[in-house]
Amino acid sequence: MIHFDSVSKRYPEGREALIDVSFRVEAGEMLFVTGHSGAGKTTLLRLIALIERPTHGAIEVHGRNLARVRQRDIPRLRRDIGMVFQDHRLLMDRSIADNVALPLVIAGIPREERGTRVRLALEKVGLAKRGKQVPAGLSTGEQQRVGIARAIVGQPALLIADEPTGNLDPQLSEEIMQLFVTLRQTGSTILIASHDLPLLKRMKQRVVVLDHGHLIDDVPASEVA
Amino acid sequence: MNARAAMAGPVRRSRLAMWCRQHAWCMRDSLRQLARRPLGTALTIAVMGLAWALPLAFYLLLVNVQHLATAVGDSQSINVFLKPGIAANGAAKLAETLRARGDIAAVTVRTPQQGLAELAAMQGFGDAIKSLPDNPLPFVLLVEPRPGASRALVQAMVAAVRAMPEVDLVQDNGQWRARLDALVALGRRIALLLAILLGAAAVLVIGNTVRLDIRGRADEIAVQQLVGASAGFVRRPFLYEGAWYGLAAGLFAILLVLLLEAVLAAPVRDLVATYAGRLRFGGLGWDTLGAGWGIAIALGWLGAWIASSRHLARLRP
Repeated sequence: MIHFDSVSKRYPEGREALIDVSFRVEAGEMLFVTGHSGAGKTTLLRLIALIERPTHGAIEVHGRNLARVRQRDIPRLRRDIGMVFQDHRLLMDRSIADNVALPLVIAGIPREERGTRVRLALEKVGLAKRGKQVPAGLSTGEQQRVGIARAIVGQPALLIADEPTGNLDPQLSEEIMQLFVTLRQTGSTILIASHDLPLLKRMKQRVVVLDHGHLIDDVPASEVA
Repeated sequence: MNARAAMAGPVRRSRLAMWCRQHAWCMRDSLRQLARRPLGTALTIAVMGLAWALPLAFYLLLVNVQHLATAVGDSQSINVFLKPGIAANGAAKLAETLRARGDIAAVTVRTPQQGLAELAAMQGFGDAIKSLPDNPLPFVLLVEPRPGASRALVQAMVAAVRAMPEVDLVQDNGQWRARLDALVALGRRIALLLAILLGAAAVLVIGNTVRLDIRGRADEIAVQQLVGASAGFVRRPFLYEGAWYGLAAGLFAILLVLLLEAVLAAPVRDLVATYAGRLRFGGLGWDTLGAGWGIAIALGWLGAWIASSRHLARLRP
């Protein structure tokens, strides 16, 4: 599903965000990427989403070498990836339903089908009755749920989340993570960047640890304690 | 037909349907964005509309100057003053000779009595004419050149008439007409330059408005890019926005010109009456207004295209 092969990323200003990182994620797997601030977690996710390109090494997603993807093909590949952000990145002047529907609009899905899929996605995150509201009226946790609904509405095979619980209290964080666990049961591959170690321990999923751009540990789910 | 060929039609139709749905959404989204800031939208439309109304109004003026020139020009005969002493039968004979020419459409003979009566009817001449012992006016032939005759042809005809022994003086009123035509041509050129300059101003106004809009919606654009929007999809609402501005501004400009026509109608009607129906006041035709409207839409779209091409390329998620 995802294969990082000796991937390095150096930013133009000279900062080495990732250094010779290699790992593999199988289809349907749930993986946490952790490390302190600046360890390279976000860069790793940005490389998968083709927001950045690696300086060295190869990345394969869905069997496709991302180095060979042409610039004009990037949008089509991104439509196959659901993305969740720490700051939700919602459009505050649009309704919740419109926010969730955005990937479907971009994919050119007919209006009737959009409505059905948005309703289903909002049901999954427990916001089925709030589609007509604007996000400003929601709590931070609810806004994150809208972000997740938007990420899953296109039924992507891969879901990536960058610190999805970063602004949430422990109880809300737990709820959001359980949502990801539920989504995984539908067959999605899930990659989550988080520095919340206690939460990671409770989730008992495979954890990849980054430190100053180096992959220093790859802990299987069975060994997380 | 193999399976692949059989599938090609439905796939193409499906892509077309998808493309249409995306456009419909972008169109609605652009209208929604304009409606969100009604004052700013109205001001932009007013500025572009006024800029576009100016060349249209100038063109309206030119069209009517052209009508005036045509009306006056149609009534311009060449006045041929015969030598004193040429009698009525001599004048009639010369008129027949001239009528036989291919470059002359009509010849009217005006007797000295008719000339004197005309002078007497003019204010201030009555008493002076009464004091004359006899009629000093000669026979005059009013010569109408054939319609569509070139200036060179008319000048050649004037020279030929002037050379006739019975002719004392030829008054060629076509010279000032040529000057008027030159002035109208100059006016047309000025109208074109004005349209180009104000059209460029309209492009800049729309371009700047769209640039500011792109800056204000940078976060939204980033989200769209992150969830898979192509460069074309991101750009489309801005292009529609420019086209809407052009559409509304073009309509505003047309309404302004129609208002101008309505305001001028009464005084122009009075002027027309003095020309005994030979002069008509003409508004701009619907084809001209339609073309003006179409150009305004194209300018709005162009302004948005330039701004979005420059500024969207700099935005990254």
